[in-house]
Amino acid sequence: MSLQAHIALRIGSLDVDAELTAAGCEVVGLLGPNAAGKTTLLRALAGLSPLRDSRVVLDGEVLDDTATGVRVPPERRRIGLVFQDYLLFPHLSALENVAFGLRARGVSRSDARRQAAEWLARLGLAEQRDARPKALSGGQAQRVALARALVTDPSLLLLDEPLAALDAGARAELRRELRRHLATFAGSCLLVTHDPLEAMTLADRLTVLEDGRITQTGTPEQVRAHPRSRYVAELVGLNLFRGRVTDGVVELSGGEELVAVDDDHLAGEAFAAVHPRAVALYRERPQGSPRNVWLGTAEGLEVAGDRVRVQISGPVPLVAEVTPAAVSALHLDDGGPVWASVKATEVVVYPA
Amino acid sequence: MQVGLGRRARWARRSVRHAPLGFVPLAALAVLFLALPVVGLVVRAPWRELPADLTAPGVLTALRLSLICSVSAVAVSCAVGVPLAWLLARVPFPGRRLVRALVILPMVLPPVVGGVALLLAFGRYGLVGQWLDRAFGVTLPFTTTATIMAETFVAMPFLVITVEAGLRSLGQRYEDAAATLGAGRWTTFRRVTLPLIAPSLGAGAALCWARALGEFGATITFAGNLPGSTQTLPLAVYVALQNNVGGAIALSLILLLVSLAVLVALRGHWFGSR
Repeated sequence: MSLQAHIALRIGSLDVDAELTAAGCEVVGLLGPNAAGKTTLLRALAGLSPLRDSRVVLDGEVLDDTATGVRVPPERRRIGLVFQDYLLFPHLSALENVAFGLRARGVSRSDARRQAAEWLARLGLAEQRDARPKALSGGQAQRVALARALVTDPSLLLLDEPLAALDAGARAELRRELRRHLATFAGSCLLVTHDPLEAMTLADRLTVLEDGRITQTGTPEQVRAHPRSRYVAELVGLNLFRGRVTDGVVELSGGEELVAVDDDHLAGEAFAAVHPRAVALYRERPQGSPRNVWLGTAEGLEVAGDRVRVQISGPVPLVAEVTPAAVSALHLDDGGPVWASVKATEVVVYPA
Repeated sequence: MQVGLGRRARWARRSVRHAPLGFVPLAALAVLFLALPVVGLVVRAPWRELPADLTAPGVLTALRLSLICSVSAVAVSCAVGVPLAWLLARVPFPGRRLVRALVILPMVLPPVVGGVALLLAFGRYGLVGQWLDRAFGVTLPFTTTATIMAETFVAMPFLVITVEAGLRSLGQRYEDAAATLGAGRWTTFRRVTLPLIAPSLGAGAALCWARALGEFGATITFAGNLPGSTQTLPLAVYVALQNNVGGAIALSLILLLVSLAVLVALRGHWFGSR
């Protein structure tokens, strides 16, 4: 099972140009902000969108090649797609919905119904087999949609925000369940999400899509530790800077400098990541070892668990995470000047 | 106008918004104007002679012919109108606006003009008619086929417009889902699209049938008024009115009953109480 895809297309103001790969029974998380083109990419892979300069190869079969004019219609691709709002056929029962794909592929009526019933039972929906989609709960509808996509044994499974339509309680349970089903699924899976938790827990590898372009790929751990865009940095809760590094000093675009410990002796464009917990705040200019000290203004306060995240604006805007006690001791809520410092050992530098 | 306080308070509670001055009497006038003819028809109907009038040989012939022709017109409209509606709703082909205008034209065209136009196209010396006559010896005007054609011409737009609207509001997403499940175009249409637009198709067919059943102008122009082969109910009503008013009223009652039945069938689709 393998997918190699290069997809370029333009729909309205959305301009997508992205490479996607998946191999074996890997789950690739496609992560990105709203309107980044994630759903559009899935639809393109399924053969539902007009393409520009694209080539899609699944298991050695060319599905799309704009250069040679190859275009396999959606119904002849071994690709299952679970839509964000499921799109269960409202006039068919749960069983008939699941059996639909088998019937369309020429399986006899009785065989199709038997296999569909097996899938429903496997997903704990034996009692709902005759229910219309309208009578199903969100979680049940999601399971039926998953069964409907999996019953035809696709090589590639596309999941478009599979848990977004569910309430928080059902989501945690279904996420565990989904991980179990994905583990037993023999094909590759591409999972679209804007929820970092979903991406980190379900995906083996992440691809970050922003504004139609891929900004980062890697394992969830790599992405979490070394964000390569403001979006990812915010998602994983890190301060991210970009500049030119020489001898462990990162010169930011505004002329400010960020001193890091750089054992790799990087040179050129680089990212520097700082965890908010590593940012210390002072009322007076601190004396001592920290090499990075800036004057700023405490602007926004946001409680996160037992910590308070403080938005510091100034020449080097960043987020600091401090205790509630520090907030009152430093009078951070009055929006006055505040000194922020970061030890050089807390600055992680990696090439851009 | 002086209205008692209590009554006014009750009105204020019931109505969401007060009507501009004069709207209520004018609206009442409109309702009266629409209702009185129906009332007249029912009140003046010779109920005692009705069974005899309805079973008179000419009446039954006209009724049978009307049913055959109108049902045929609906069948033809469905057979070619549903594909047309699908293309109008789903395929952005060049000239789509022109085709849609052409579809709506018979709805606004005076039926008599439609009849004349049909004659000029399919008549013995018409555009297609003279060729049909020469090549196959087929003459269409003044035949039952001509009646069906006239009724289809004026009634099909109702079906096409209603089904197209149904397809548009349904959208393409269920069809996309069917395609990703391996369903070809025809399977998708038969198993997904058609069942989901069934309410629109039913409403369109009902409107189409009602229009075909009541067709007068195009029919009498293109198909004539021959008892047994082209004289449908509305034509029979018109003829009966000259010498047998009771018969005309009886036939009109039948048509009124049919219209009411269509109205009931469409209840909730187009004329839902809001």
